[in-house]
Amino acid sequence: MKKKLIAGIMAVVLAAGLLAGCGGNSSSSESAPPAAEEEAVNQGAPAEPQQADTTEATGEDVTIKVAIWDYSSTEYYKTMFDAFRETYPNIAIEIVEFTSDEYDTVITTQLGGHQDFDVVFMKGTPSLAALINQGHVYALDDLLAGDESFDADAYAGLVDALSLEGHTYALPFRYDNNLLFYNKKLFDDAGVAYPKDGMSMEEYHALAKQMTSGEGNDKVYGALVAQWVGNAYMYAARTEEFVFDDPTTYEALIPYYNEILAMQDEGIIYDYGMLKTSNLHYTGIFYKQQTAMLQMGTWFVNNLFENVQDFEWGVCSMPNNVGMGNENCIGGVTPVSIGAYAKHPAEAWQFIKYVCGEEGAKTLASCGVIPAYSLGAVGEIFDAAPQTYAGAPENLSKYLSCEKKVIEQPMNAKGGEIATVLEEENSAIMTKSVTPEEGVLNMIDRVNAILEE
Amino acid sequence: MIAFRTAFIPAGSKLGKADCSVQEGRIYFMAKGKKTLVAYSFILPSLIGFLIFTFMPIICSLFLSFCEWDSGNPIKFVGIKNFSYMFLKDKSFWISLKNTVYYTALTVPLTMIIALFLAILMNKPLKGRVFFRSVLFFPYVASLVAIAVVWMALFNPEIGPVNSVLRMLGVANPPRWAASTTWAMPTIIGLTVWKEMGYYMIVYLAALQGISKDLYAAASLDGANKWQQFLHVTWPGITPTTFYILMMLMVTTFKSYDIMYITTQGGPGESTKVLAYHIFNQAFVNSKFGYASAVSMILLVIILSATLIQFRFEKKFTSNL
Repeated sequence: MKKKLIAGIMAVVLAAGLLAGCGGNSSSSESAPPAAEEEAVNQGAPAEPQQADTTEATGEDVTIKVAIWDYSSTEYYKTMFDAFRETYPNIAIEIVEFTSDEYDTVITTQLGGHQDFDVVFMKGTPSLAALINQGHVYALDDLLAGDESFDADAYAGLVDALSLEGHTYALPFRYDNNLLFYNKKLFDDAGVAYPKDGMSMEEYHALAKQMTSGEGNDKVYGALVAQWVGNAYMYAARTEEFVFDDPTTYEALIPYYNEILAMQDEGIIYDYGMLKTSNLHYTGIFYKQQTAMLQMGTWFVNNLFENVQDFEWGVCSMPNNVGMGNENCIGGVTPVSIGAYAKHPAEAWQFIKYVCGEEGAKTLASCGVIPAYSLGAVGEIFDAAPQTYAGAPENLSKYLSCEKKVIEQPMNAKGGEIATVLEEENSAIMTKSVTPEEGVLNMIDRVNAILEE
Repeated sequence: MIAFRTAFIPAGSKLGKADCSVQEGRIYFMAKGKKTLVAYSFILPSLIGFLIFTFMPIICSLFLSFCEWDSGNPIKFVGIKNFSYMFLKDKSFWISLKNTVYYTALTVPLTMIIALFLAILMNKPLKGRVFFRSVLFFPYVASLVAIAVVWMALFNPEIGPVNSVLRMLGVANPPRWAASTTWAMPTIIGLTVWKEMGYYMIVYLAALQGISKDLYAAASLDGANKWQQFLHVTWPGITPTTFYILMMLMVTTFKSYDIMYITTQGGPGESTKVLAYHIFNQAFVNSKFGYASAVSMILLVIILSATLIQFRFEKKFTSNL
């Protein structure tokens, strides 16, 4: 009797909990944020996105919440935010910092819980596309249209590249190009000519072979192809033979895979399995002059400025099989958006416009970080680098402003899933667990399955 | 309640006697009812915690497994779509399931055998056994990240000491360990066994020390050799512990994904992707909370049935002792 009673009470408690707990999720996600109250009727059919509040900033004292990663270990953020405070003394900034590795995951979870971040920094386009799809960021169309001081042309098409289904949701903060970095000293010592723009993969292979020397701990490798998948598809992505979210283009990767696998077999590039399991970092390898060449993003420029004094280094565009010189850049964008649960969207817009605009760009450039904003002054700062940093080359600006800035991972709501699949298959190919043909076929099958879903 | 009474009221104590002396009637009923309430009030804090933080999420998860939810848009009921997709279309699910079974099927017996062997060894009056006990227990205490880095360095295919030794011994092409789809899982199993064995060794050691020395003396008087002593004295004596270890290990290995996350990220290819890792990816990378919940329900069913089967066996075995 008693057992039944207790069981009954427990059942009621559980049922109540279920309704309160699970029901809470659904009802809270159905309720629209205050700024989009009128559009709440359309929820579920996201024909029209929520636009950020376009009313003018009041000038009153407010504090905006900024979600960002690695704030405390990144100097330029502080410099930039301090400068912003000087221009807008009424807007205080509250930093909400997360670790870099888990940032995408954490920010999704936080916004899922309707955290009132005014400004949200994102690590890349897949993350932005996912947040847009989940309704966690505001559309900026009205703001862009209503703000005459904003000039989209200064971003060389990157603002459009960040739009999804005709709506813009973010401004580009940084844009990194992928280049071939090389150690001039090692080339000079070997009496070999420096790598040049528009090398073919065969020439790259031959050059790396020429530059490989030594054995054991003294071995100097010809090149380093870092272990993440981008380094394998970047050649073909730059020439647009390969498009990240279009499986019909994936076969273009096969010849590139064949070439780097051959280089790996000959021991002239670092072994993928070794890099993956040893936690060896490319920075240390390049600083210690254990590789003559290194494929890397331009975020590395800042590290080189700070850490390399005892040798000179240079850059050229990535090798490819279609004879492309420096016409296209290939890289990733760091977007910044206004959170959908923001309390001060108008001030958040002022902040975003500042950090992504000319002022922010100058701060970034002076720290050796490449901004997405690409007007003249930025290039000049980079070309003046050799005066401040001993090893830096003179022609950096040439590689930071190309005719076309190709986005490595175009806006696609399923970008994260696609990236996971490509990463997994890349590891199978590079460890020679499957042939490049089999691996690429798997990529095609699996990405098609994701896109069809 | 029986468990409560035997646990908290020592036989022969005043309370116990009073309870026994009043056999019938209203007074007894009230006293018992009061005691029941007292008993429940003791477990209430833990029960509330369990209900809110464990049971309710499980129920929510069950509910979500029939829905689509990306944490932003409204929850959408989709019936059994998640399950049909999982069983019919999601190849990664089957690969992860296979890997999970492979991982568990090797990790559990290996850890148990090695832990028992070490415990028997450590139970003998060896010189420096306190030192060895500490050494063997250390991987369990140390941070997983730290020991994973050490393990991966040992098994580095190019510059790792393990392969250097193998090459010296004349093996021309030693396994490429974590950099090969065939050897990645065994490498991770080795790491898990290394990490877990110390703890279970201590558990076994406690069980071994609980066996009366008289039993061994009697057995040797009867002419039993070492192996017979183990089989007829040691093994029955530690059977309940073995069941405990078996269950704990199975549950932890079925659920584990942290080791793969730190070492191989499920690769190369999908060779070390386990169910829990698949769930994590689906939920937190792909924002498919409904689908991830569906997969986690399957994992729950597997763990639950394995546990129930063990409970049945345990009863059968221990009742024969």
